[in-house]
Amino acid sequence: MKRRFNSKNPASLIVGVVVLAILAIAILGAPLLAPYDPVAQNAAERLEKPSEKHWLGTDRFGRDILSRTLHGGQTTLLSSLLALCAALAIGLLVGMAAGMFHGSALDHILMRIIDVLLAFPFMVFAMVIAGLFGTGLVHLLLAVVSVWWVSFARLTRSVVLHAKNETSYAAAKVLGASNLAIMRKELLPKAISPVLILATFELGTLILSIAALSFLGLGAQPPAPEWGSMLADGRAHFFQAPHILIGPAAFIVATVLAFNLIGEGLRDRLDPYEKLEL
Amino acid sequence: MSSDNRAEALEVKGLQVAYEQNGRRTTVLNSLDFHLGKGEILVLLGESGSGKSTIARAVTGMLPPSARIGGGSLRVGAERIPDLGKPGIPWERIRGRGIAMLFQDAQSALNPVMKIKDHFKESLLYHSLASAEEAAAISAAMLERLNFKDVRHILECYPFQLSGGMCQRICLALALCLEPAVLVADEPTSALDTVSQKEVLDLLRKLQREMGLTVLLITHDIAVANAVGNRVIVLNKGVIEEEGDTRTVLTRPASAYTRELLAARNRIARPAHGLPPAAGKPVLEIVRLSKTFGGKKRVLQQVDLTLNEREILGILGQSGCGKSTLAKCVAGLERPSEGRILLRGADIGHLKGKARRETSKRIQLVFQDARASLNPGRTALQLVQEPLHYLRIGGKEEREALAAYYLREVGIADEAQTRRPPQLSTGQCQRIAIARALVLRPDILICDEAVSALDMSVQAQILELLQRLQRQFGFAILMISHDIRVLRAFCHHIAVMSSGSFGERKQESGRLHESRQPHTQLLLKCAGDMEDGLV
Amino acid sequence: MHTVLLRKLLEALLTLFFATLIIFALIRLAPGDPVRLMLGHPGEIAAQGTSAYDEKVAELRAELGLDRNIAVQYVSWLGRLAQGDLGTSIFTGKQVGSEIAARLPATVTLSLSALLVQIALGLFFGMVASLRSGKLADQLIRVACVALASTPAFVVGLVALALFAVKYGVYEISSDFSAARLWLPALTLGVLGAPQLVRIMRANLLTEFGKIYVSSAQSRGLDRKRVVRHAARNALIPLVTMVALSFAGLIGGAVVIESIFSWPGIGKYALDSILVKDYPVIQGYALVAVLMVVLIHFLVDVVYSALDPRIHHKGEAGREETV
Repeated sequence: MKRRFNSKNPASLIVGVVVLAILAIAILGAPLLAPYDPVAQNAAERLEKPSEKHWLGTDRFGRDILSRTLHGGQTTLLSSLLALCAALAIGLLVGMAAGMFHGSALDHILMRIIDVLLAFPFMVFAMVIAGLFGTGLVHLLLAVVSVWWVSFARLTRSVVLHAKNETSYAAAKVLGASNLAIMRKELLPKAISPVLILATFELGTLILSIAALSFLGLGAQPPAPEWGSMLADGRAHFFQAPHILIGPAAFIVATVLAFNLIGEGLRDRLDPYEKLEL
Repeated sequence: MSSDNRAEALEVKGLQVAYEQNGRRTTVLNSLDFHLGKGEILVLLGESGSGKSTIARAVTGMLPPSARIGGGSLRVGAERIPDLGKPGIPWERIRGRGIAMLFQDAQSALNPVMKIKDHFKESLLYHSLASAEEAAAISAAMLERLNFKDVRHILECYPFQLSGGMCQRICLALALCLEPAVLVADEPTSALDTVSQKEVLDLLRKLQREMGLTVLLITHDIAVANAVGNRVIVLNKGVIEEEGDTRTVLTRPASAYTRELLAARNRIARPAHGLPPAAGKPVLEIVRLSKTFGGKKRVLQQVDLTLNEREILGILGQSGCGKSTLAKCVAGLERPSEGRILLRGADIGHLKGKARRETSKRIQLVFQDARASLNPGRTALQLVQEPLHYLRIGGKEEREALAAYYLREVGIADEAQTRRPPQLSTGQCQRIAIARALVLRPDILICDEAVSALDMSVQAQILELLQRLQRQFGFAILMISHDIRVLRAFCHHIAVMSSGSFGERKQESGRLHESRQPHTQLLLKCAGDMEDGLV
Repeated sequence: MHTVLLRKLLEALLTLFFATLIIFALIRLAPGDPVRLMLGHPGEIAAQGTSAYDEKVAELRAELGLDRNIAVQYVSWLGRLAQGDLGTSIFTGKQVGSEIAARLPATVTLSLSALLVQIALGLFFGMVASLRSGKLADQLIRVACVALASTPAFVVGLVALALFAVKYGVYEISSDFSAARLWLPALTLGVLGAPQLVRIMRANLLTEFGKIYVSSAQSRGLDRKRVVRHAARNALIPLVTMVALSFAGLIGGAVVIESIFSWPGIGKYALDSILVKDYPVIQGYALVAVLMVVLIHFLVDVVYSALDPRIHHKGEAGREETV
C-alpha cells in the first residue's frame, strides 16, 4: 500500500483566493457597484423574480436583493473578521500562557475555564445572550468572541506543549533565552501557521453561525441588509418565492467556500501539526 | 515456501532505484547484483546515503511512493520476479514466508493497542500455520527459544510495557514463526544499548546454527558486522566497493573505501601524545543528586560526581539509565528533586529566572540531534550569535565578529557562514552547534551523545575538533555516551551509570577494566566480544 | 484506572458547577429588573405606577428572594435546581422543568440519530478517502466535504424540505414527534456534521499508515484488509474524543433543524421563548444543554480510557529477563 501521497495541488488555494478576491471587490465596492439603494422600498415591485432589471429579484418590500446582498456583505464580513481577530488574540495569549506554564496553577485554572466554556454549545450560548440581553448584531458578536477564543487557545497550547519537547526549545533555554524570548522566537512562530489555518476555517464557520442566528431572528435586525437577516426575511415566503433566499445564500456559500478552500490549500502546504486537532 | 534445492536463498540482479522529488531525480542504486546463500548471515555495511535501506525495501516491495525502480530481478526460494519495475507484483506471496523483516525501532514495529499474543495469533492464523488453540503454544515456544523467561506474562503485555531489546526479540519471534526463507534486518540493533545489542546478535547466530536461519543484515556499525557476519558487502553511494568473507574484508581490506572506513574508526583512539592534563581543582560538584518525575519515577538516585577544571569526564551508560537526565539537571533544563549542584562552590541547582540564565555563560550543552537544535531558517552566523543575543552581550558588530571567529575555529569557512542548516551537512551542523555553545566561553561543555548520530568518519572529525578546542580554550567536558570506544579514547576518566546512580567512583579510562562493578564488566565484555578480531 | 475515572467525574461535576455559576451570573447581569420582566406583559397588571403594581412587585421580589444577598440567592437557586425545579414559564405559567422534560426526548432522539449518521458517513468516507489518497475518489470526497461545510444548515434544511415535502411529497409537514418524521431532519443534521469527521478520520488514518507497525504488519505478509485494520484500531481512538466535541455542535445545530422541520424539541421551545423573553425557559434550556454536553464528555472519557491500553495499563512494566 502506498504511503501518504501529499498532493501539493495548488488548485484549491488558487480557486479560494480568486473567489475571495472577486467577492471582496464586489462587497467592498458595494456603494459604487450596487444598482439600487439597499433600503429603498418599492411596493410596486414586490417579490419579483430575477430579471434584467433586478438581477436577483426583489424581496417583499420591493427592495433590490442584489444591492442588499452586496451591502449586507460589508456588515457580515467586517463584523465576522472583527470578532475573529478578537477571538484569535485572546486565544493565542491564553494558549501560550497555559502551555508555557504547563502544570502550574495558571495552566489548571485556564484549562478549567476552557472546559467550562466548552460545555456551552455555541448556539445555546448565543441564544441565552440574545434572550437575556436582547437581539442584535453587537450582542451576537460579544457572544461569539466570549466562546470562540477557546478553540484557538486549545490549539496554541497543544502546539506549545509539543514544541517544548523539541530539541530547539531545550537549546534556546540552555543558551540563556528568557521566557519571553522563547515565546517570541520559538513558540509563536510555530503556533502561527496552524492557528492561522484554523482561523480560516473558523471564519467560515463563524459566518455560517452568524447567518444561522440571524435566520432564527436573533442576530441583525431589519432593515439592516445583513445576509442572515435577509434570509430570515425571506423565510416566510420561501415556498412561493424561493429566489429571495438565493441571493444571500449563494453569497454566503461562496464566501465560506472561499475561506474553506484557502484553509485546505494552506493546510496541505504548511501544517505540520495536522494531527493536533485539539 | 516450497523446498528448493539451490544453494542461494536470495538473488538480486541489476537492481536500479532512483527517487524523484520536486521534479528532481536522484539515482540511489545503479545495477546492483548480490546473492545470499542458505544459512548465511550477509552484512550490508554502509554509511548513511549508501543505499542499504533502499535495498531492504526494494526486496520487500516497501519503497516509498517517490521511488522509481528502473529494473532488477529478484529470486527468493522458488519465487521469481523478473522485473521489479513492473506493477502488479504479488508481494503477498513473498512477504512473511519468503522474506521477513526486522526494523530499527522495534517498539514502534508492534501495534500499540494489541497484545503480544494477538500479534502472533493473527500472523499464524492468516498464514494457516496453526489453529487458534495451537497459536498460543507455538508463540510461547518461540519466545522461550529466544531466551524469554516469564513467557505467559509477556504474551499478555502491550508493547509499551516492554523494553526496546525485548521488543526486538519479539519481532524476531514473530518473523521466525512464519519460517521465512530469508530474514532482512534493517539496523536491528542500532537503537539498542550494548548489552541488548549483543543479546540480539548472539540470538541470530544461535538460530543460524540451530535452524539454518538466513539473514541479510543491514548496518553502519563495523562492530556489528564483525560480530555476526559470515560475509560482508561494503556499499558506498549505491555501488559495491568490496565483497567477501568478513574476517578478510575487515582486517585486510582490498578497496580504498573500506580502508578509509576502518581508518576513520580507528581514528577514534587515544591520541599518541595523550590528553592534556586536567587541573586538580573541581569546577563542578554534584552532591547526592536525586530526580524523581511525577512523584513516582525515580530516575536519579543519590548521584555523586566531581568534575575538575580542564578535565574530560565520560559518563557511560545504557539507554534509560538516567545519564541524559543528569545532563539536563546540570544544564538547568530540569530541577533536581534533592541534592546540590555546585559550580565552583555556588549552588546552582535551584536557581530561577535571571540568575539561572547567567549560569548559561558557564555551562553549555551540545545535543545529539544537531539539526533539531538549530533553527533551519537562520544562517550559521545568526545561529552562533543567539546566546549573545539572549543574554544581551555586546553590540551588533561585536557579536558578528565573535560569531565569525568561532565559526572559523570550528572549521566553517567564511563562505559557508551565510548558509542555512538545510544546505549544510550534519557534521557541519554539529560544528555550528559547538561554536554556538563556545561563544560564551563556558567553563563546562556537556556533550549529550553529541557524536552518536554521526557517520563514523564524521564522528572522528568532531571528536578531534573537540579535543583541539578543549586544549585551546581550556574548558572541561562532560561527555555522555553509550559507546565505550569513544569514551576510552576521549576521556581522562569514566564514570559508569546504571539505574540512576554510579556504582563506584570514576575511573581512569585506561583502567576501566579493573572495575569491580558487574554491570561495568558486562558492558566491557559485550563491547569486547563484538570487537573481537578487529584491528 | 478507577482513580482516573473518579478524577474525571470530579472534573465533570466541577465544570457543571462553574457552568451554573455562569448562567446565574448572566441572568443577574441581564438588563431590566427580573421582576418587571416577569410582570411586564401587558394584561397582567392594569397600569404601571399604581400602588397595586408596586405591591405586586414587592411580593414577587420577596417570593423570589431577590431581596437577599447574591450568594444566598445563588445557593438557594442551586438548591432548587438540584430538586428539579427550573422555575415557572412566564408565558405559559407551567413548570419549565416539566415542559423541557416533555420535549427532551425529541431533541435527544434527533441528536443521537444525527450522531449515528455522522459517524457512519465519517468512518466510511474517511476510510475511502484515505485508502485512495491523492486519487480521484479522494479529491471528490474532499470537494464534497468542503462544499457541504460551506453551506448554511438552514439552506440544506430548507432545500431538503422543499424537495422531499413539497416536490416529492414523501415527508409530512407537521409538528409531530414520530418515527416516520425522524429520518429527514436526522439525515440532514447528520450529513451537515459529517465533513468534519470525514476529514479527521482521513487524517488519522493517513498518519497511522505512515507508522512503522503498519509496514511491519505488511512485512509479515498480511493482506491489505488486515493491514488497514491495524491502522484503523489506532486511528479510531482519537476519533472518540471528536465525537464528544461534535455532540456539542449537534445540540446547537439541532436548534436550526428543529425550527425548519417543526420538530418539537427543546431547541424550538427555547427559540420561541426567546422571542417572547420568557427567561426562565431560556435558563432551563441552557442548563439542560450544558448538562447533556458534560454528560457526553464524561462518557466519552470513560470509553477512551477503556479503549487505549496505554491509559488503563499505566505503569505495569514487563520484568526484565536476560540470559
